[in-house]
Formats: sequence, structure tokens, C-alpha cells
Amino acid sequence: MRRLLILAGLIPAVAAFAQGAPKVAALDGHALFEARCGMCHDAGGMGTGLLSRRVQPAELARRTDLQADFVVQAARMGIGNMPQITRGDVSDPELHAIARWLATPPDQRK
Amino acid sequence: MAEPVLPPGLTAARLALARRHLEAIVGKDHVFFDDLDRDTYRDKFAIDDSHHIPLGAIAPETAAEVQAIVRVAAEYKLPIWPISRGKNLGYGGSAPELTGSMVVDLSRMRKIEVDVDNGTVLLEPGVGFYDLYDYLKAHKIPLWISCAANSWGSVIGNALDRGLGYTPYGENTTKLCGLEVVLPDGDLIRTGMGALTGSPTWQLYRYGFGPSWDQLFVQSNFGIVTKAGMWLMPEPENVMGMDLEFDRPDDLGPLIDALGPLRREGLLQQSPTIGNWLRAAAILTTRSQWTDKPGALSDDVIDAIRKKYHMGWWGVGLRLYGRKAVNEAAFPILENAMAALKPLSLKRTNWNRGEPIEDNPVMGVPSTFPLQNANWHGGRGGHVGFSPVLPQSGRLALEQFHRTYARYKEYGMDYQASFAFGERHLINVNALILNKDDPAFMKRVDPFLRTLIADSKAHGYGEYRTHLDYMDTVADTYDFNNHALRRLNEKVKNALDPAGVIAPGKSGIWPASYAKERGK
Repeated sequence: MRRLLILAGLIPAVAAFAQGAPKVAALDGHALFEARCGMCHDAGGMGTGLLSRRVQPAELARRTDLQADFVVQAARMGIGNMPQITRGDVSDPELHAIARWLATPPDQRK
Repeated sequence: MAEPVLPPGLTAARLALARRHLEAIVGKDHVFFDDLDRDTYRDKFAIDDSHHIPLGAIAPETAAEVQAIVRVAAEYKLPIWPISRGKNLGYGGSAPELTGSMVVDLSRMRKIEVDVDNGTVLLEPGVGFYDLYDYLKAHKIPLWISCAANSWGSVIGNALDRGLGYTPYGENTTKLCGLEVVLPDGDLIRTGMGALTGSPTWQLYRYGFGPSWDQLFVQSNFGIVTKAGMWLMPEPENVMGMDLEFDRPDDLGPLIDALGPLRREGLLQQSPTIGNWLRAAAILTTRSQWTDKPGALSDDVIDAIRKKYHMGWWGVGLRLYGRKAVNEAAFPILENAMAALKPLSLKRTNWNRGEPIEDNPVMGVPSTFPLQNANWHGGRGGHVGFSPVLPQSGRLALEQFHRTYARYKEYGMDYQASFAFGERHLINVNALILNKDDPAFMKRVDPFLRTLIADSKAHGYGEYRTHLDYMDTVADTYDFNNHALRRLNEKVKNALDPAGVIAPGKSGIWPASYAKERGK
């Protein structure tokens, strides 16, 4: 699955298995998006499935019209059938990093 | 700015003092008391949005922080509602039973320790199914997870609420092996072999020495689980099976009677789930594409939907997991038993280790797409479950199905249901897909669910799990000897948690300090 391939590439190999859940680089919007949002917003996810009924491309990472403020508001307040994302789940700095990454056109992302 | 609703007996001044202590424990950045926080921790799928309002939330990262939080909560009589990740949608999500409770959000506790040789994992509550799946794949560990259809949530949160998966390890709560728990007085215990300091067998033998406590912390409010051991299934060499569709509603009975003996003898080791047409269709389409008539869908609309998607009235996926030679020997027995029922369709499936794998919880791969059913009515949706435990009897299951379906029609609801096999029982998970944009519809939901609970109780059936709104009602149906079990639960609760602050009302267990809140 696409999400896993991206995530796996970001995780350095470790010898011991007691190192915790897949850690993402601090405030790396792309990695955070895959770890926190990808399950619903990559191909095959609930969010992509529902968005595909009214917008193309439905995968958030391929969109070119997202504004950072809108992403933050949609996540915190919920939108459509998407539940609200709490600060315990995704902190403010993490959410802003995700929003900045999504608001950067795909061809300009580093 | 809406004023927060305080819990019974707590003043704003005392709360301000408690907050200072809480901020000292986890840091200000992890204590959430803004209006927006109170909204984000509410139940997205609530039947009545005026219930179960959180006071705020706190997100610890370590068991030591949880211990300190519990001690502050007891000192200030601040009720707390622990959640693992709060994705238990349909059962209350991250919202507390008692309005004014502070949510203790364990999402930041995300440690994973895998014992590859023994096929076990020690997890913290914030680890979701996707986290564990990705971890196993990234480290090339040949173990499979047993995930819920909505895999967004916590692995151990699901097991602690007796959630279900679809592989042979699908009865997730039975795969718990050893817990670490913060007790209401702030003490920290480890159950089973974990009570023996440094034991390498904590995740291998469930019981330890003397009484075994693991299930006491399942669906209860006696402590906060900060670590749990679980067993993981070794990756099978082969998965072989079939996807079946059955044409008529009454095909359910013979199907259950054919599968039950195969499950009990062990030829079938997974936990298959028989689902009706809407369970699949609500993911693929919306109601308004088929009809604009209110009330339960008519047979001609149901037939049109089924025809378009080539669905039976019921469908089930059966899988054999393990050595290819063993599966090849078992498969014809399963196929013959199913063919004798004359299914509408029988599609064989076969997977061998190393081949591309289907994105499906049946194959140990997490998913979220089943949550698309929340959009069945096209607008603001959600779902709530009604899930009685039944015997593995085709006749009794059919009777329950007909009773329940008649109620759905009476109340003008679209019937979505499944029958999930355990080793000796069935869980009849009925989902009601909500239409939160239709006030008249929403007004019928509560009396409808209470009627279903009463109908089932009249036949000796009780629910295995329920939404916050029905915890007292369901607990009330477990009434042998004038509710002797509830009296025991509350004796234990009052002994362990004299302040009564951990999850008051969870599973209908009310401490003496909040006894007046029962049934509200």
C-alpha cells in the first residue's frame, strides 16, 4: 500500500525492536501526514472514498487547492463525516506542519 | 465562549487549582481546556449532542504521569475518562459518560515492543492498528495483526472493549496476556507473570499465581491500562477460502447451522461474519441514488441495489489460514458444506506467502473504508450499534433477525446487520446508520434502540458492548438475583476507587460518589 511504502522509507532500520511506534521526523509535514492522516486520506481510505464522490483528485496529497488554514479548521472541527482531530492525537505544531505541506503545491514540495 | 459544564461537586476555583497541578505533571502544552478542545473530544456520532460533554482533556506520555494525574483527580474529586485513541466511533468515541469529566487521552503513549520469536507484543494504548501494522512491515516481522474493520483506533483499546477482528485471532480480548495498570489510588500493578519482577514470561502465560485480574480491567472502570501484552498470529504460509453470497433472507438459518459445527470442531478457525446487503452497499453508494421515499427501504429498491452490485441478501467470507497442505485438505470439506446450501455465488480465493496481499482485515491488513457507511444518508451521518449475544442456532438467529428487521421497518430505518461467529456464540451486530440532518429521524433513534434492547432481553439476550447512552440500560438487563453482578461490580469499584473518579458510569458501574447520576 502506498502509505506503508512512504512511511517505511522514512524509518531508519533498527536492530532492536523496543524502540517504539514508527517515529516521524520532527515537524516533517509529509511524514506526519502519512502517519496521522494517510489511513483515511491515501488511496483506499474512508476520506478518499467519500471525497471521490464530489472532488477530483480525491487524495489530499494530490490536491492543489488546499489552504493551510482550511486544513487546520477541517481537522479540528471535523468536516462532513470526518470526526474532529484532537490535540492529544495531533498536536498544534504537528497539524500546522501537515497543513503547510498540504498547502504547498505537489510539484513544489521538497 | 460557552462556560464549561463542571462535574457534580466541583467548583471553578477548585478546578483552577487542579489544573495547575495537572499542568505541572505533563506541561501546559498537553492540558486542553479551550472551547475548541471540548468540541473536539465530543462524540461525532452522538444521537443527542447535548449529552456526554467533556470538561477538557489531558494527554500524558508515561505511566508515571498517569499515576500523578489519578492522584490529583482523586484529591480534587475531578472525574476522569480515560481513552486510548478515542476512535471507538459508534460507542461514544472520545466522549465521557459523565458530562464534566476530564478526558485522559493516552494517544501520546505509543511504545511497541515485539517479541518476534514468541509472537507477542507489548503495547501502549496510543498504538493504533495502522501503527502496529506499519511497524511490523517496516521491520519485516512475519506476524499478523487482528484488526477491526475501522482500524483507525487503538489495538489494546479495542481488545479492552472486546472488539472483534476477522482472522483466527479475531476475538481480540482473548489475546490479551498481561497488563500494566494504574489503580485509582495511583499505585501501579502488573498482572499475570508481570507481577514477578523481570519475568520473561509476562506475555506468554496469562494467569500468574493466584487470582487472574486481566478481564477485571476489560470494559470496567477499576484502573487505567498503560501497557498490555497481546499475542500475534504467525504469518500463514497460505490463506485459502471463498466469498459467498446468499439470495434470500431465510438463507441465514441454514448458513449458521452449517458453519457452527465447522467452527466448533476447529476446521474453521477464523471468526467469520455474515453481513447483509446494506453492510456492503452503504460503503459503495448513498440512499438518495435509489429512492427519495422516507421509511425503511422497500424490497424493490433493495433488489435494484443488490442487482447492480451483484450482492446476495447475505454475504460471508470464509478463510482457512496456515500450511498450504492442511488448507488444501480442509478446503473441499468447507466447499462441499457451502455448495450444499446452494449459494447465489461462490468465489474461491487463494493467497500464498510472498504474493501481493488484499487490503482487507481478513488478511490482517488495516482499513478505514467501512466507515464510508456514515455517508449513506448523504449528509451528516454516523452509526450506532445494537449487538446482542446469541446461541449458534440457525432457528434462534432467524427468529432474532425477523424480530429485529420488523422493528427497523416499524421505526422507518434501513436494516444493516451482521452475525459474527465466536467459538460457541454469535454476536448479532446491528448498525443503525444515522441521519443527523433529519430531526424527525433522530427523534426515533432512542426509542427504537430501547425497544430493541427490551425485545432481546425478553428472549434472554444481552448486548456485549454498547454506546455511552445505553450503558445503564444494558447493565440493567443483567439482572439475575436482583442485579447481584452490578452490586458486586460497585462493591469492587467503591473499594478500589473511594473517590469514584475513574470513568464513573462506565458499563453502568457507578461509584457511591456519583450514584445520583445513574440513568441520567
